[in-house]
Amino acid sequence: MTTELLISGVIFGLSIGAIFFLMAIGLSLCFGLMRIISLDQLLYYSVGAYLTYAVSVGTGNIWLGVAAGAATAGAVAFLVERFVFLRIYERELTFSMITSFGILIGGIGIIKSIWGVVPRPVQVPTLAQMSVFGTDVPVYRLIVIVIAALVYGGIWLFLNRTIIGKAIRAGIEDVQHVEGLGINVSRLFTITFIIAGTLSGLAGGLHAPLIMVDPQMGLEVLAFVFMVVIIGGLGSIKGTLVSAILVGQVVSLGSLVYAPLAQMAPFAIMLLILLVKPTGLYGSTLVKK
Amino acid sequence: MVNAVRWWGGIVVAWGLVGASTLFLPVPFIIEVVIFSIYTMGCNFLLGRVGFISFGQPAYLAIGAYGTAFYMFYFGTNPYIGLAIGILSGLAASAIVGPLFVRLRSDYFALVNLALAVIVFYLMQKVLVDITKGDNGLWYLTNIASTPILDISKRTHFLAFALIAAALIWAFFKYIDDSIYGACCLATKVNEDKLLFLGYSNYGVRLMAFIIANTTTAFAGALYAVYLGFVSPEVTSPARAADPVVVTILGGTGTLYGPLVGAFAYTGMKDVISKLIGNWELFIGFLLVFIMLAGEKGIWGTLQPYLERWFSRSAKAKAAEPHTAQDAR
Repeated sequence: MTTELLISGVIFGLSIGAIFFLMAIGLSLCFGLMRIISLDQLLYYSVGAYLTYAVSVGTGNIWLGVAAGAATAGAVAFLVERFVFLRIYERELTFSMITSFGILIGGIGIIKSIWGVVPRPVQVPTLAQMSVFGTDVPVYRLIVIVIAALVYGGIWLFLNRTIIGKAIRAGIEDVQHVEGLGINVSRLFTITFIIAGTLSGLAGGLHAPLIMVDPQMGLEVLAFVFMVVIIGGLGSIKGTLVSAILVGQVVSLGSLVYAPLAQMAPFAIMLLILLVKPTGLYGSTLVKK
Repeated sequence: MVNAVRWWGGIVVAWGLVGASTLFLPVPFIIEVVIFSIYTMGCNFLLGRVGFISFGQPAYLAIGAYGTAFYMFYFGTNPYIGLAIGILSGLAASAIVGPLFVRLRSDYFALVNLALAVIVFYLMQKVLVDITKGDNGLWYLTNIASTPILDISKRTHFLAFALIAAALIWAFFKYIDDSIYGACCLATKVNEDKLLFLGYSNYGVRLMAFIIANTTTAFAGALYAVYLGFVSPEVTSPARAADPVVVTILGGTGTLYGPLVGAFAYTGMKDVISKLIGNWELFIGFLLVFIMLAGEKGIWGTLQPYLERWFSRSAKAKAAEPHTAQDAR
């Protein structure tokens, strides 16, 4: 394997990992705080991607599309939280999983009836190449990586430096205690859910130019996002980052060695890690209280 | 003798009714219902009895279907051997992944199973494209030889075979539900510490349940493979991962006849509604959300108390009749 191939492979893997990270963080946060498995994050990903497509076709500006996609995904997440999740927070964990899968499938149905089933292409915002260690790599992939890094920094600052973030972290430790301190937990849940939905929408918007936008796109990344969350451990931001980078690299470098490996290798790693540590790398041992 | 009648009565009546409905409903529809209810039975057992929610049932369905399909396409012609191979491959697959999966907590279990379904989909669609022919699928309808006595390459005979198989599976699950093992399954769902305290291994009970349920699912896959005469990766597509869970909840989780009622209702609705609106997924999704929010008892779970009351009343009336006759005399 030549150095050039290796470097472009690593960059490719990082950008894929960045997308997985943005999506998995929503699942992970929702599990950590609300103890729900919110499969509908994959719907917000599709919503973000489709809005990016629609706005970029309408206005010609893709960045505007990405922003609109993330905002709309956040708004949809807010509505879903108000109308559905509010009623099922106190139920069992599997309950939320089934319900959110229903929302995902129903949402895909709505997307199909609006945009049809034909895959749509989204233009890449910039076709420029940049030289990294003597290898030309697309600037757009670097931008995706930088955005994910910024989001990680932002989430870290938000959780560690703001009062709402601290309340969320405390809620991950013990929800009842936080409620006892007089903090409105219900509002905290809503805020977390909107953040999760917005980040998933952002992931969809950023991913759209790299692939074709089609109604089943949420289901296509589903396996990878799951693997990221399972390897990293539900409820841990750091674990999600580590495993997103890991899975991204395995997908990218694995496909350089032997193409079918891209899909199978992460699964093998996941099984291996579950064998050693059933809660994932940084997973909490907490169960639903 | 009376016990045997009472024990078998419900199962024979239920499947007899399904068989009798061929008089006014098309045969393919009934076959679809029968196979689908066997498919759902595995999920129902896992969810209702053991408390494991599995979004990965399509994976085992596909393993059973492809096990049969490989045999029918490459090696032999006897559909019964094909079915046996489908069941064995399901058994083998669940025995391999089972020990890894059942150690997990319920939430991880659901995630890992769904990931498995997607992986099997990729495996069949892309990785093993040389043997599975990818999206085109394997076609072997003409390879299926006719067999003596019950010729399952014919539709009506296939229906008879499927009905008998379904009744046997139902009897098997009823037997499990009544046995000590069934009680252990329920205990591992409700209170695993207590089960441990009683001297049983949670792991062992769960592993057994996992293997039983997924082998049943693989059998449904094998039946599909023989009935349709073709298999494509579509059987394990992630979009259909929720089907068995939807039907389980629609019918009534953990009840014996729930999967049958659910499969009947679901397949019926699918046929009717897909004619009216093309967007079938939209409907399933919102149906699922609606059922979950409206309370998760399902159709059979709601009907069962009424039926039981009705039956016990008529039984009482029968028991009372000779009595009054004697008094009058």
